[in-house]
Amino acid sequence: MQEEYKKGILDRLADKFVYALGSFISLFKKGWKEKNKSKMEEWRLMLYALNRSPPALIGLVLVIGFIFLGIFGPHLAPWKYNYFPSLENWTVQYPAPPGTSVYLPYSHKTITYPLGSDNYGRDLLSMLLHGARTSFVISIIVIFLGVPLGIILGLIAGYHGGKIDELIMRITDMFLAFPALILAIALSAVLPQRLQMFVQSHVVLEKLTLLLFALDRREVGNLGNLLSVIFAMIIVWWPAYARITRGSTLTEKEKLYIEAARAIGLSSRTIMFKHILPNIIGPILVYITLDFGGVILMEAGLSFLGLGATPPIADWGRIVYDGIQYFPRAWWLIFYPGLLVMLVALGWNLLGDGFRDILDPKTRRSIEFKVKKSEEAESNV
Amino acid sequence: MEPVIQVKHLKKYFPIKGLFFTKGHVKAVDDISFEIYKGETFGLVGESGCGKTTTGRTILRLIEPTAGEIIFEGKNVMKFSKEEMKEFRRKAQIMFQDPYSSLNPRQTVFDIIMEPVKFHGIEVDDPEEFVVKLLESVGLNEMHLYRYPHEFSGGQRQRIALARLMALKPQFIVLDEPTSALDVSVQANILNTLKDLQSEYGFTYLFISHDLGVVKYMSHRIGVMYLGKLVEIGPSDRIFENPLHPYTQMLLSAIPVPDPELAQELKAKRKMVKGEPPSPINPPTGCRFHPRCPFAKEICKKEEPPLVKVEENHYVACWLYAKS
Repeated sequence: MQEEYKKGILDRLADKFVYALGSFISLFKKGWKEKNKSKMEEWRLMLYALNRSPPALIGLVLVIGFIFLGIFGPHLAPWKYNYFPSLENWTVQYPAPPGTSVYLPYSHKTITYPLGSDNYGRDLLSMLLHGARTSFVISIIVIFLGVPLGIILGLIAGYHGGKIDELIMRITDMFLAFPALILAIALSAVLPQRLQMFVQSHVVLEKLTLLLFALDRREVGNLGNLLSVIFAMIIVWWPAYARITRGSTLTEKEKLYIEAARAIGLSSRTIMFKHILPNIIGPILVYITLDFGGVILMEAGLSFLGLGATPPIADWGRIVYDGIQYFPRAWWLIFYPGLLVMLVALGWNLLGDGFRDILDPKTRRSIEFKVKKSEEAESNV
Repeated sequence: MEPVIQVKHLKKYFPIKGLFFTKGHVKAVDDISFEIYKGETFGLVGESGCGKTTTGRTILRLIEPTAGEIIFEGKNVMKFSKEEMKEFRRKAQIMFQDPYSSLNPRQTVFDIIMEPVKFHGIEVDDPEEFVVKLLESVGLNEMHLYRYPHEFSGGQRQRIALARLMALKPQFIVLDEPTSALDVSVQANILNTLKDLQSEYGFTYLFISHDLGVVKYMSHRIGVMYLGKLVEIGPSDRIFENPLHPYTQMLLSAIPVPDPELAQELKAKRKMVKGEPPSPINPPTGCRFHPRCPFAKEICKKEEPPLVKVEENHYVACWLYAKS
């Protein structure tokens, strides 16, 4: 028996969303909506496939929540990450448990800790919100610099083959031969001073970094550590992408449409980026989605080991590291950041698994079939 | 008449790589020469693996030949500069066997057809109208303009591929078994479209196929290939009426006929030839057909037969007709 396909609220929402998106693009490119009916139909089916998969939806909600916190977290935080109440009122025993209120005699304010405080009396909630920005920006930079590097090298190696292939892939093997974490630790231990000097001699870069991480000017001295972790992770991240891209390129370049493109005379750059890449990007996108979680985990791991973000910069892994000495009394210092890291990594992984089904054309065809049938049934009534 | 393309002593050997050094070569195409005249269809037939497709691709330099010359409109293709090569890519095109993989699944029909046009800088007033006209000339219509390849049947895809070629107005097209992946009625349709286009625009075709009936219908002249060698070249009707080379005779006797008596006769003829074609890595000495040939003589094992003229425009490489 074929499963009946009933359009739910989400599906109707998907219809409206795709239609609105089409209309929006048509504002800039005239007639786009009419010309790209097939494309919009595919998008609609992809959204339907997403709606059929509850884990992917949960993942999507978690990821959207994380992105929201990543962008607006520092602005939502009630207190600044580098505001130390322990300097004003040292009669309280820090870390203070959740729900405690402390009066601050110098600024005449009362600070309430919904999730508890750390050993300097900083509000854990505010630190977590600031930490979301740190994780978010690091994961985006690592993915957006590391992945294209791997993809470009993989494409070149796979398409040209021969000596170029050997050269690129042997270098890739060299990087893959080291355990990722060890290599990252080594790099982030060596790099900070150099990067610190580099950042401080480039004012624009310095300002941009401070802005991206929503940091105070006085944190300039700590940027080197933060950037060294990013740099180390980019170095660790690209080889895997070079390898999967090369593999897919090898199969794709044997297809006849590539030969047709060569018969037309197109340059190898056009063939690589316009013909091969769009056809192999599906599995890579899945990989990227999964890796967002991976980067966040690894970054938390590195800062847990004391590398990367240095206090007072808020960072989830670092909060756990600093909280360990107060465990188990101050359980909240370990529990809440740990929970956040877990939820975010879980969200990206669920979404990535969902993408695998959504991007699979077979799923779309089967849904298309069911949708058509149910639409016919509706129009008959 | 002026030949559009001349192939002289073309060779293509594929190396077989061992662990450290080359172990040997697959002699896919081994010293073949022919020419194709303007407006004609030259059919290339032979069994699977005899080097037909490699010949077609080497002529277009999609595969670099090992040796030999390809003369296109009086100039050597092997010595083309970058600009001349671009011009050659516009003038000489190829149509593939498998319509399911010859179109980029991520491009709409419009993009597929416009890409070569844009690349070669061909001036078009209204791209949409231009593409619609092309689609109509191959039997598709406006409705299909912004669809993706997966929305079409095999025959329709082959038409899109054809429209892509025609957008460049090529002079010479290699048709690499363009119909063997399609069913018979669609085949006839495509073949007729190709013929119509030829009479309208004066295209020159190199038609590669293993289907003798189709080759007979399409071609003016035919070349028969066996293990990387051309064994017989002649006008289409003469090859079918008076096949000279024993291999050609064998090929023709393999065409199924509806008449049972005639079929019996042909069966007897077919039995004369035994065995499978040998490996092109280590082809037999002398005439390559001699281990399977019922008329093989002593000389066939030792010396390669030259291509000799037997009648007007009809050449054969066989010791039965040549003097040693």
